[in-house]
Amino acid sequence: MKNPKSISVRQKFIASAKNSKILTRKCKDCSTIMLATILYCEKCHGKNFNIIEYPGSGYVTTFTIHTVPPEGFEDVDSYAWVVFTLDDILVRASGFLPNIKKPSDLPIGSKVNVQGFDEKHGLVLKKL
Amino acid sequence: MENVCILGAGSTKYGRLNEDIIEIALAASVDAIESAGISPRDIQAGYLSNVFGVADKQVHMAPVIMSNLGISHVPGLTIESACGSGSVMFREAFANIRAGFYDCVLALGVEKVTHTGTNQSTTLFSYCSDFFYEGGNGASFPGLFASIARAYMTKYKANEEDLAHVAVKNHENGLLNPKAHVRKKITVEDVLNSPVVASPLKLYDCCPFSDGASAVILCNENFAKKSGKPYVQVIGSGRGGSPAAVQGRNDISTIPGTVIAAKQAYKMAGISAHDVDFAEVHDCFTIAEIIDVEDLGFFPKGKAAREIRDGATSRKGKIPINPSGGLKSKGHPIGATGIGQIVEVFEQFSGQAGERTINDAEIALTHNFGATGASAAVHIFKKVN
Repeated sequence: MKNPKSISVRQKFIASAKNSKILTRKCKDCSTIMLATILYCEKCHGKNFNIIEYPGSGYVTTFTIHTVPPEGFEDVDSYAWVVFTLDDILVRASGFLPNIKKPSDLPIGSKVNVQGFDEKHGLVLKKL
Repeated sequence: MENVCILGAGSTKYGRLNEDIIEIALAASVDAIESAGISPRDIQAGYLSNVFGVADKQVHMAPVIMSNLGISHVPGLTIESACGSGSVMFREAFANIRAGFYDCVLALGVEKVTHTGTNQSTTLFSYCSDFFYEGGNGASFPGLFASIARAYMTKYKANEEDLAHVAVKNHENGLLNPKAHVRKKITVEDVLNSPVVASPLKLYDCCPFSDGASAVILCNENFAKKSGKPYVQVIGSGRGGSPAAVQGRNDISTIPGTVIAAKQAYKMAGISAHDVDFAEVHDCFTIAEIIDVEDLGFFPKGKAAREIRDGATSRKGKIPINPSGGLKSKGHPIGATGIGQIVEVFEQFSGQAGERTINDAEIALTHNFGATGASAAVHIFKKVN
């Protein structure tokens, strides 16, 4: 088993996503919340944080449906790449949402949830 | 501080080229050297921008170019900044002339990708994104700009026809550019009926994958005056950054790096957007041009689509945009694009633009960015009579 101290922040972010959570940092000085992969506060540039896992639920901010996918995604019939805003904290993340065939399947504001993280498709979302 | 000038410019045709990447780069370099009326011995440094050299089995490209120009002792520097590589590299060349380190340098951008095919090119381009959040989650580059388009269209009630007008206008301009990649007149209906690549963007909303090279000779004003040749002065230069991932932007309908770079460039030039006579902007996708011309201050936010429909950005409009045809029609060899825009300015100001000449133009602006705007550069040029 790996020493937990050797786990990178990205690995921790992935581990949280696998539990349907989003890992964030909350600045102890100015209370700004950001994704945990950002190492200094975006507002005050400090580095005193509380690490907080938030539920991976949010709403669609914008999205696209790929007809010509990049390598590694050719096996998926039709999917959306989605920017979503987490409920309550207004932090944004993005992910892969399968089985979306047309824009009307996913109106802006639709509720989504982090379903997990897989090595092939990254952060996987589910439409609620 | 030295005044910085463009003394010569050259470019290959953009498109699917058969020569290898070094031959393409050398062709543009020789054109620029001859255009400037200088000898390679006058060049004190070489700056080169390129992104996917590894696909051509050639990285560390600048010294290879210097060697093949017969000036292997001249220091070369290769710079990568995705689709903004050319302008970011130009800024470094500009800064070194301005600081007095060199009197005369070569700034050369080159790319060759068409031999990799559409699928591999799409994949290679996705590496320019913030891959952990974007390419790794299935976002292609058309997909990223499609998500930006949807955010813009939602906020400002724009539609797909608004996007199409950008493509139609740039293709009209490209028809007049003998070096353009896609010289084809298209209609709004052609755009709307073209295959969807990543909704809401369709094939004709997207620039092509192109090969090509462009080069300019930069020098200080003393060098330019001694040459006796006509030249163009660089009067403004700005660089800005944006969150690398689209998700990190508070407002997805603007590109913060463009706004920052433009503000710096206008301040250095001592002008405002209203003083610009024409601009070459980064229209990798139609939505990008709409956002660019607002972020550069030519139109208020949310108003560009209507202005473009009304012809304000056509060659005879109040602010002509992309008289070269832009990335959309002229093409987008990503390492060369930023320099290609400056070549267009040089040709416009030196009477070489033919039918696409913007009459009486004296101030021009170029705008180029990497990825979805994570690294942006704006430069402003003045015709020297």
